[in-house]
Amino acid sequence: MIELFAQLGGWGMQALTRLGRAHLLLLPLLRGGLDILRRPRLLVDQLFSVGVLTILIIAVAGLFVGMVLGLQGYYILSRFGGETALGLMVAASLVRELGPVLTALLFAGRAGSALTAEIGLMKATEQLSGLEMMAVNPQYRILAPRFFAGIVSVPLLAALFSMLGVMGGWMVGGGMLGVDKAAFWNGMQGGIDFHEDIVNGVIKSVVFGVVCTWIAIFQGYDCVPTSEGVSRATTRTVVHSSLAVLGLDFVLTAMMFS
Amino acid sequence: MNKSRQIEIWVGLFMAIGFVALFFLAMQVSNLGTAYTGDTFRVTARFDNIGGLKVKARVTIAGVEVGQVTEIHYDPDDFRAVVEMGLQSQYLNRIPDDSFAKILTAGLLGEQYVGLDPGGSEDTLADGSEISVTQSALVLEEVVGQFIFGKGQEGKQ
Amino acid sequence: MTEVDDSAEQPPLVRIRGLRFRRGSRWIFDGLDIDIPRGGLTAIMGPSGTGKTTLLKLIGAQLRPDEGTVEVDGENVHALSTPDLYRLRMRMGMLFQSGALLTDMSVFDNVAFPLREHTHLNESMIRKLVLLKLEAVGLRGARDLMPSELSGGMARRVALARAIALDPMMIMYDEPFTGQDPISMGVLVQLIRRLNDAARITSIVVSHDVAETLGIADLVYVISNGRVVESGTPAQLSESGGDWTRQFIRGLPDGPVPFHYPAPPLRGDVLGAQR
Repeated sequence: MIELFAQLGGWGMQALTRLGRAHLLLLPLLRGGLDILRRPRLLVDQLFSVGVLTILIIAVAGLFVGMVLGLQGYYILSRFGGETALGLMVAASLVRELGPVLTALLFAGRAGSALTAEIGLMKATEQLSGLEMMAVNPQYRILAPRFFAGIVSVPLLAALFSMLGVMGGWMVGGGMLGVDKAAFWNGMQGGIDFHEDIVNGVIKSVVFGVVCTWIAIFQGYDCVPTSEGVSRATTRTVVHSSLAVLGLDFVLTAMMFS
Repeated sequence: MNKSRQIEIWVGLFMAIGFVALFFLAMQVSNLGTAYTGDTFRVTARFDNIGGLKVKARVTIAGVEVGQVTEIHYDPDDFRAVVEMGLQSQYLNRIPDDSFAKILTAGLLGEQYVGLDPGGSEDTLADGSEISVTQSALVLEEVVGQFIFGKGQEGKQ
Repeated sequence: MTEVDDSAEQPPLVRIRGLRFRRGSRWIFDGLDIDIPRGGLTAIMGPSGTGKTTLLKLIGAQLRPDEGTVEVDGENVHALSTPDLYRLRMRMGMLFQSGALLTDMSVFDNVAFPLREHTHLNESMIRKLVLLKLEAVGLRGARDLMPSELSGGMARRVALARAIALDPMMIMYDEPFTGQDPISMGVLVQLIRRLNDAARITSIVVSHDVAETLGIADLVYVISNGRVVESGTPAQLSESGGDWTRQFIRGLPDGPVPFHYPAPPLRGDVLGAQR
């Protein structure tokens, strides 16, 4: 029994020290932003590997999620004769919730895990130590550009997701099921408020971008520098990011829409 | 050199797509694109009950949008809701002052909006005018209540 | 203390005093004293797991000791501010076991990397310097290859070119000979000695490859169990060394370092009841 408590305590301490290290890393990450202002090229390279390479999965997922929403929404709403609200329903669920959340989850799986693996391998192959011995701070030179690339990419990807989702919903609702075009778009425009829905959705996705990229970078930088350590860290990135996104989504939603 | 150029092009494309998407959400999906940004004049109307009417709801004549609800407050002196509307200035002095303001619902579940039925007066609405003839929102519970009450009365007779 | 060459009157470039370093509950270094003379090629030898790589990281101030001081060129590296430490590191090169080349850049860009980070030279100047450094390690023709296309020995030579790009005052070699075929081993041995002699770069070689290291070193420290057990020129070491050193240098399977990991007597363990 006591052993169990001791073990729990040990895990707790480990989690706390890790949390502390993660927060200590935040300062150099932000400080590294100054270097990026001087050398935007560093950011451009990372925007490619973090953002551009994630476009495809986001676009496909957004389109299909929107189409499913159109179909499901139509069947539910048509029972009440409320097909005219289909546009509003599709857009509201995408802009407020599904866009930011699903984008962040997909981002963690596609780009976050890749970031962790890349940084972890750089650590395992002594590239990070090598940079330090060349008097180059890897936190500024390697980590910070990736961090900011993630923060910039996620909101844009989430917007892309929502846009394609709305289009997918329109394709199914308007194209296949014959919902009136004017009702679809007017209902949407009447019900979605720019500040309350769009801006809050963007704020959400910025927060998710910060958290997902931060977790990915920290896990890579903090991993045990062996092949096993890197693979464990990659798994942790996806699990922690997903949980953090879902938990934060509740908190943010409660703060914004209540 | 060639490769880094490709990366730049892709990243540029990515940023462009992202901002187009944000623009689309703002203008096509939300009410920002439908908002009338020109000059408006202010008209008020008092309702016994506004139901679920909200600020920024549409104001229409014959189904065409002519303005937006700009403010809603409660007047404790006559126990009614005061709805302020901003109408597009092209309609200044073009709407009869005995027009009838109703709170309507788009479809069964849609959002609520203000509909104006033009009257026959020679005088017209100007900035600061008040519409005196109004009809409150249809509150579903009341309608159902009246219906049941009416049925009950019928049964007694 | 054996003096090397003409550097007798100069203070040592690296002076380590009373160094103690702990990993977990195990003391990796327990009172280590080492002097690295300027311009010489000093080898630090010891069996695997004695923390030789750790020692280099302590000299480079990537790790902090629990006790003791490390002075490089008269400065206590662990007391320096970060900018001062970085300025000092620009004058130190380090060759990692794996080469530690940046995998997303070509050989040319890897060697150009420190120049681009720390100097304001224009591209044509950088190109000349990079080609000269690559020529020094014999890989000028490989400049457009990516690190993944290089053999282990070539990667180490590129890393060496990168380490000397800023003309450092010293280079630390971490196990430069491990896992090399005889030819690339010979090339590396040659290169290390030549760089040391030609540019008077102080070299610290950490290794457990006895023959190669003794062949080029001016001064050898043998460490074991966190302390220096013996030091001297290679010649002194091979003739006068104690039991432990003799076992290490000759590669004898049994001696002061036992062949068997500590265990209860065989008879009882094999025939006795299982625990």
